[in-house]
Parts: sequence; structure tokens; C-alpha cells
Amino acid sequence: MLDRIDALREELTDVTLTTLDEAEDFRITYLGQRSGIITNLFKKIGQVAPADRPTVGKQLNALKQRAEAIHQEAVDRLEQAAGPAAPDVDLTLPGRTPRVGSVHPLAQTLHDITRLFERFGFAVAEGPEIEDDWHNFTALNFPPEHPARDMQDTFFVEPPEGPRNGVVLRTHTSPVQIRVMENTAPPVRIIAPGRVYRNEAISYKSFCLFHQVEGLYVDEGVTLGDLKHILRTFAEAFFGADVQMRFRPSYFPFTEPSAEVDIWWADPEHPDGGRWMEILGSGMVHPNVLEAVGADPERYTGYAFGMGVERIAMLRYGIDDIRTFYENDVRFLQQF
Amino acid sequence: MDISYRWLSDYIAHDLSPDELAHALTMSGLEVEDVTRRGPASEGVVVGHVEAVRSHPNADKLVLCDVNIGTDAPLQIVCGAPNVAAGQRVPVATVGTTLRLPEDDTRVPFTLEAVELRGEASQGMICSGHELEISDDQDGILVLSDDAPVGTPLADYLATQGLALTDHVLDIAITPNRPDAVSHIGVARDVAALTQGTLRRPDVDYPHTDSDAPPFEVSIEAPDACPRYVGLRVTGVTVDESPAWLQQRLAAVGLRPRNNVVDITNYVMYECGQPLHAFDYDRLQGPAIRVRLAEGGETFTTLDDVSRDVPAGALLICDANAPVALAGIMGSANSEVTGDTTDLLIESAYFNPVTIRKAAKALQLSTDSSYRFERGVDADGQVWAAFRAAVLIAEIAGGEIDPDGFRDAHPRPQEPLMLDLRVERVAQLLGTPLTAGTLTQILSALGFGVDAAADDVLRCEVPLFRPDVRQEVDLIEEVARIYGYDQIPTPSHTRIPTHTPQALPSTTLRAQARTILTGTGHREVFTNSMLRKETADRFNQPPLGGAKDGAVVETLNPISREMAALRPTLLPGMLDVLQFNHNHGQDALHFFELGHVFRQDTDGGTVVQGYAEHEALLIASCGPVDTAAWDRTPRPADVFDMKGVVDALLRDLRVPDVAMEAVYESSDLTQHHLTITAQGAPIGMIATLAPALTADYDLEQDVCIAELDWAAVIALAAPHLERRFTPVQRFPVVERDLAVVVDDATPAGAMLDAIRAAGEPLLNAADVFDLYQGKGIPEGQKSVAFTLRFGADRTLTDSEVDAKMRAILTALQSNFDAELRG
Repeated sequence: MLDRIDALREELTDVTLTTLDEAEDFRITYLGQRSGIITNLFKKIGQVAPADRPTVGKQLNALKQRAEAIHQEAVDRLEQAAGPAAPDVDLTLPGRTPRVGSVHPLAQTLHDITRLFERFGFAVAEGPEIEDDWHNFTALNFPPEHPARDMQDTFFVEPPEGPRNGVVLRTHTSPVQIRVMENTAPPVRIIAPGRVYRNEAISYKSFCLFHQVEGLYVDEGVTLGDLKHILRTFAEAFFGADVQMRFRPSYFPFTEPSAEVDIWWADPEHPDGGRWMEILGSGMVHPNVLEAVGADPERYTGYAFGMGVERIAMLRYGIDDIRTFYENDVRFLQQF
Repeated sequence: MDISYRWLSDYIAHDLSPDELAHALTMSGLEVEDVTRRGPASEGVVVGHVEAVRSHPNADKLVLCDVNIGTDAPLQIVCGAPNVAAGQRVPVATVGTTLRLPEDDTRVPFTLEAVELRGEASQGMICSGHELEISDDQDGILVLSDDAPVGTPLADYLATQGLALTDHVLDIAITPNRPDAVSHIGVARDVAALTQGTLRRPDVDYPHTDSDAPPFEVSIEAPDACPRYVGLRVTGVTVDESPAWLQQRLAAVGLRPRNNVVDITNYVMYECGQPLHAFDYDRLQGPAIRVRLAEGGETFTTLDDVSRDVPAGALLICDANAPVALAGIMGSANSEVTGDTTDLLIESAYFNPVTIRKAAKALQLSTDSSYRFERGVDADGQVWAAFRAAVLIAEIAGGEIDPDGFRDAHPRPQEPLMLDLRVERVAQLLGTPLTAGTLTQILSALGFGVDAAADDVLRCEVPLFRPDVRQEVDLIEEVARIYGYDQIPTPSHTRIPTHTPQALPSTTLRAQARTILTGTGHREVFTNSMLRKETADRFNQPPLGGAKDGAVVETLNPISREMAALRPTLLPGMLDVLQFNHNHGQDALHFFELGHVFRQDTDGGTVVQGYAEHEALLIASCGPVDTAAWDRTPRPADVFDMKGVVDALLRDLRVPDVAMEAVYESSDLTQHHLTITAQGAPIGMIATLAPALTADYDLEQDVCIAELDWAAVIALAAPHLERRFTPVQRFPVVERDLAVVVDDATPAGAMLDAIRAAGEPLLNAADVFDLYQGKGIPEGQKSVAFTLRFGADRTLTDSEVDAKMRAILTALQSNFDAELRG
């Protein structure tokens, strides 16, 4: 018996199975229920002397496992080579797509700007869109009848001749500066996002309303250098570390000195290879503004800046018509 | 404001190219928006002599000219100008020259080639003044004087005549704080400071006597509105066309030449910033000048032949009888200089900026003159400007300055402002120290008087042409802009206050809402806050707007009727979005918007008194709720989808005690709706819109909306932003179903309420899982099946749950006549 087992073991080492049919023949020959060679040996185990049975049984089992392994290996190998079985599910059918929503690109840009400044310790503040003259103009050092008031074409809700010198749709988010400082002593470090209104002809580059983000930092020892720092940080975060920017003098009634920031916008079609694009206005908070809210301008200095969100979103996404934002075409919205 | 590069160099010598100059000005506060080149784009225009003019064999309106340009043989040039004639000296653009020829309103580069015109060779072009951008004359070729040297470059010849062939015009955006820069001398002063050059203001003599018997009187009845009025008489002038150089300069800055007198007053205004007016002296009654305020009710016909109602408070210049000018804005034909004028009265005044601004605004009339007066002209510049113009008139138009004809009425002289500038303060504000020497040098170059008052304080006298400089900080800006913002170092470190800013609940909750609503498949939209008044009124009614009422807010000066009011609700904007997308082939329309809505308010307590404004959230759905797929047909969204979204949103935001009450009555706007309350206070509504409304927006399918008072939601949710952990129940949950048959009209909501009440405290959750009518259920009745979950902090026994189930069934039986479904 043991010799037979040894001979079979030897025989198995020479088996090569190259087709599934050969593998099946092999299984039937050695392992078949009725007349498989190994199966038959198991049937004859009763004829072995009782003392030898454990050894024979052990060896026979090992032989059976070996034969099974050879068969299984061959089947796995050959089935894989033969390709997949005929499918009982068509996995190429399209998936059931859930309905997807989207956040408006202006909300995304507002959020990203706000978040950036929050990382620099600015707190968010908000204010109303219908404003009185004091907060929108006078406290911000726009003297009555000053040509600076013409810089912002204003929608009036109550006339300037009225008892409150006018109620307006806010022309900028700067009134939030006043509202916060009226209630908070320095240090004040806020960012104020919101919607503002201008009575301008509607075109691809101007709409009757848009969004701004206002920043304000008032403390002891704040300098124009600090302002340059925060604005460079912003520009690099939004337009890349290699952004080219320039910081040039300008005029806003509520800041002195005032500055505008331009970034270089590459445009291969432009004869100069690009152009400077204004992205924000800024400056050191005017002493008259600090006085208007009861802060001592000798003790405190501060900077303020304000940027148009649409302008930045247009640059960022390559949108060339501001009205697109307010059309809300699904084919536009789904891109964001 | 246009500044001519060449004209500017009369006042400052510098070696900056036009682009470099533009950059330097931009970086010091005078933003140059555009630099435009004037004149031919290349060399190659020379002086030619027309030797003969022959007729063109194939064209009636063209002639053949033989033109000598100093080369061996004359060129044949085809010309169509009516005024060309043999013997003329003319400008000839030779082959290869690039001109910038007028086309529509712009100029287009055009390079000349040797061509044939109607079969005849043409080797160049004889040019008009317009083609060369020297003048506006388009009527014929430019004829040069007979001594123009043939063959020399035209530029060289023109230079000998005081004319420039090329120039660059810088378009500067003047900020309202720079009235001093609205002139060539003003800009030159900045250039001088930037380049450390010297400003050269033309010297002017003031030939006058202080005559006791002036030929005319000046009386000022409104000294606050007119602090100074200088009148100067020039006699014996000949009104004619201006010389070419003067016309060229005015054309460069965008002014149309009129006659030599008017052109000179404009020239001096663009030179120094002082608006001047020239009256025909002989047409002034008196002769006298009387300056007074208008009382209202007067009309006045301005030079442009428009009869205007003069607003009360406007300033009028009158002669002995009647107004002759709207001070600082525009004169009148009644005293205008004409071809017959021989004697002039030159007006050079300082008018109060506010007076002029108010009048110009009321009249809706803005002129070069009013633009400058309302910003504030140099209060010390009137005499210089008057004599500068008079001298030029005497030179160009003949005539003489009448030494007795000078009046300087100056009832309100201005003293220069003295300001202290602390050297230390400059460093404090700019973040970089500047020496007293640097400060002194910059301020002096800008025309400030500077004295060292102490070691570290400079005493500065503000020149009267800088009315914008009122405080020390204004001086610091002057210093900074000339020193250069780019030279101010950016610190490598910056300070941040030690207190940690708190996140604003509204920001956090808004972000949370966006996450939820985009997750439920809604797209955010941004719509216009302004709309037609009629539309605003239509939507400003219950059940929209919750419990709030108040009339629509209107603007006094809308862009158009389409935008005359502010939205009282976000719905009209949303319907526009639905309509737009539906009409562009989209069918699954699911949107939301967060935005402010506005109403008038009479209750008080609003931020700006009289106006109630709050943030609102609108969610809208119309069309299929799912995308189509191979095994499902999309179902249209209905009110239960919206109810579920709102429920999920409010639950996620932890808004406490939310209840919804069904209202089955329809309104103009809705088919039916649910009011939403939290802690008993209304926070919004859910509705299916009325078909009559949605049909107006081309929408055939039901539109379901939810409108929330987002400000109220924020107030309710903010206290719950901070989350607390509740231990998760570790004991098994028992689930039971219960189906009952009730009358058809029995509301499921009320049954659920009864179940919850009866199931307390073991019942954790109850929901409807089936609703059935039909076979096996009697007519007029329905089967409602509930799934109930029981649990507690221990393992419940069957008998405990059975008892609760009995209590629940009893509650349903007694309240709703429910029968257990077998």
C-alpha cells in the first residue's frame, strides 16, 4: 500500500494540465467518487494491518490533498486564462446618479476670502444693506457736498434733503467698520462680507449690485507696512505665490494714505503680454473716522481694505461677463 | 483728464518716455488709464513741392501730381483733394510710411505702398492735417508755407513752427482730492517732485494801475459763494482762428478749437487749472459785474441755447441789467465773444466749491469749468491766470491790456493753513522712518512751505492750490506717495491681537445649510435684489413673508422701472431663475438662495429705523425629483419632498420645537401651504404655488417652495451650535408595526402626535410606512400603517411593550375611531 502511495506521489509530480478538460479528466482519474485511483485506495484501507493504518491513512490523506491542490491550481489558472464566466449582471449599465447640488461661485469666493482672513485672526462682521447717511458716508469722512460722493453712484431710499440726510442702499461694506467700532473698542480686527449697490449702467463689467469684502484692523502701532503685508498674503493665496502686484497711491475719503492694489494679469492677446488689474482699495484709517467712533487717533492707527468679490471671481474662474453670475443658468452653476 | 506729453514738457524738463512717465505718475497717485500716441506711427513724411497737376485719364475726381521731394525725379502721386494746386508745398507720406488713418472713431495703422489707382501709378500720399493728426481739418490737404524746405522731414519743419508731428496723450483718472492736478502745471509739479526737477511756470507781467476811476464796477453780493472775482479788460482784439500750434494743443486734450479768444481761455484753464470766461465787453450793460445768488424762479439761456430754470442758491454773474453767466458753469449768448468783438472782459474767479456743485447737480450740467470749481481751484491763482490769458490774447489776437481795466474784488481772502508734521508720526504710520530732510525736500517740491519748528517737528504752510490737505495725515500721504509706496518695506512679521475671534453663528450656520442643501441636490443661486414695484407688490402678501407685513421699499432713483423696488421675498427672483432654466431646456429644477429681503417698518427696533431687513432662505423645486435611470421613471417633486428637506435641514441645525401646520385654503400665490413655527414663533412656510402664478413663468409643473426667515433660524439654532454627547442606548430596541383603518379625512400628523403622546416614555420613534386605500378597505376609509420603535436604558419585556401598544391603540380608537386592521 505504502509503495503504491509512493508511486502515485511520484506520478503526480509529472502531471501537467493544459486544458480544463485535462483537469477534469485528472480529477475523475484520481479523485472520482466511483473509481478514482485515490478514492479507491481509501476504500481499501480496511485491508491494511491495523498497526499500519494511521501511517497509511496519513500518507493517503496527504496524497489526496496534493491531488486536489494540483487540480484546483490548474482550474484557477486555466479559468483565469479562459476569461470571465458569462455575467449574470450587466455591470456596464449606467449607475443611478444622485441629484447633485452646487454652491454659487460667488458664495464660494466669498467663503474662501473670508476663510483666508479668518486664519489671520479676523472675525466676521455683518451689517444691513439699507444704510443711513451717517454710516455709509458721513462717519466715513465723506463731507456733505464733497465730490467724493460722486465716486459711488448711490441709490437713495430717502432723499439727502430728508431728516436723516438720506437713507441709501449701501454703496460699500465700509459702514460695517463704523457699526463695529461704535460698539467695540480697539483692538478691532474684522472682515465684513456683503452685498452692495451702485447706480451704474449695467454692462459686461458692471452690475447694479455686487459683493464686497471689507477688512479693518485698528490697534496700537498698525502701519502701512502691515497693510502691505496682509494684502500681499491675500494676493499670493488667491493668485499664486508668484503673483506680481503693485501698491499705488489712490484716494478714499475714509483712508489716508490710501492705496489701490493691482495685480499683473497675463493676457497673450494683449500687446504688452498682459495688463494691470485693480483688485482692491485700501489705506490707513483716516483719523476723522476714528474720531467719529470715539477712538483716539493719536493712540490708535489702523488699516482698512475692500475688494470686489465679482472681480476676483471673474479673474479666478476666467468669467468675462459679470451678469453671468446673476443669470443662474444651470449649465453655468454646475461648473462650480 | 487728458495731458499732452509735449505740452507738459513746457513746464518740466525730464527724460522719461511717455510710458515711463505714465508709470511714474500712476505709482504716485495720478493713475494713467491710457497712453495714446498721436501722429504718424513712423518717420517718412517729408515736405514736397507740387510741380505740376495733371488730370487723371480715368477718373474725374482724381488728379495726377508731380511732386518733388528733393530726390532726382519727381514722384507721381494720385490725389483726390479739391485744394491741391501746382506750386504748393505739401506734406508727402512716402512709400513705406505708416500713418494712423481715421476709421470710425479710432485710428488704424496703414502702411503706404506703391500702388496703381485707376490705372495710374501713385508713389505716396499727400496728406491732410487730419490724416497727420495735426488738426481736425479734413477738407483738403495741408498746405505749408512757401518757404518750407523741400525734402526735409515734416517733423523738423513743423518744429520750427512750434508744432509737433507726434505727441502722446496721457489719460489720467483724477481722484477728487487732487484739484491741483487738473492742469498741465499741476501734473508737472508732481513730475518735478518725482524727478527732483524744477517746475517752470511761465512768467507773467501784471501791467495795471490801481485806478480810482475804473471803467467797470465789480460788486459781490454773495461773498461766501464768490470769495474772489478778478476782471481784466483787453481792448482792440481781432477775433479769428487760432494759430496751428494752439489748435493742435487743444485738439490733443480733446477740445474743439473755436476762436482765438475762447481757445486761449481754454488753453490757460488746461495750463493752470483756473477756468476763465471772456465776455464781450461792449455787450455788458453798465458796464458792471454783479455777482449774486439766484432766488429761484429765474430762467437763463446758456451758451448751448438751452433755457434753464436757475435753482435757488445758484450763483449768477450779472451785468447792470441781467444775468450774463451761470457762475462757474456756463456763459450766455447774450455776452458771448463773436467775430465782431473787439473789447473783452476776462473773468477769473474763485467760487465756493459747494455752491457750484449744488447748482451743477441741480441743473444736471457738468462742464470743464464746474468740474474744476467744485473740486476747488487755487484760491491764489486768479490774477496770474487772468494776465496769462490777457498776454496771450494780446500776442495772438492783437489788442492791449487796459492797465486801468483790472479789478480784483476779494471780499474773503484765504490764509494758508499751517500744519505741524511730526517726524516720528510719519514712521508710526508708514512703518518706516523718513528723515526730516527727506520730508522737507518732498514737501517743498510739491509747493509746501516747510520750516523746522523743533528738532522733530516740521512747520508746513499748505499752498492754497491744495485745499485737500487739512491735517498732518494728509502731509504724510503726500510724502509717502512721492517717496513711493513700493519703497515702504513689507515687514517680515506682523502682529496679531491675542484675543481669538469667535466664529459668527450666522457664518457657521450658513455653511452648514449650504452643505445640507447641496447634499439634497439643490443648486445655490444669486438673484437681483431689485425688481419692478408691481412685481414686488404682487409677492408682498400672505402667506409669503411669514407674519411680517409692511409696504415694499422703493428707491427714489432707480436705473429703470424694472428695478424700482427692493425684494420683499426671494420668490420672484427664484421664479425668474426657474423660468430661465426651463426655457433653456432644463427640467429638474432644484435651487436655493440666501439673501436679504426688505420691507417698510413702523414698529421700530430695526437697525435703520423704518426699514425691516432680514436674511431669508428660499428653497424651490420644480420638475423631476430624480435623474432618469434605466429602471426608474422620474417622479415630479411635490410638497412632501420639500417638507422632508426642510425637516432635515431644521433638524440638522438643531432648531428646537419645530411644528408645521397645514393650511388648505389657497391664495393668489399658493395652492396650499404649511406654516412652520419653532418654539411657537413663525419661522417660515412651505407651499405649492398656485398654477395661475407659475403659468406666468412658463412653468407647467408644480412649483414647491420653502421660505424661511433665516435670521430667526440663526437665532434659534445658534445656542445649539455647541454639541453635547448623549450616551448611545446599549439595550435592544423593540420594533412593532401597527395598522389601523380610519376615516379618509383623518390627518396622519394628528395620529402620529397621539401615538407619541400615548407611547411615552418608551416609544422612541414613530413613522408612517404605508398608506392604503382600495380592495379590502371600506369606501371612504383608509389604512394607515405605523412603524414603532421602543427602547429604554434597560431591556424591555414583552409585556411592557404590549401595554404601550394597547395604550397607543386605545388612543387611536378613542381619538380617531380607528379600527385595528386585521
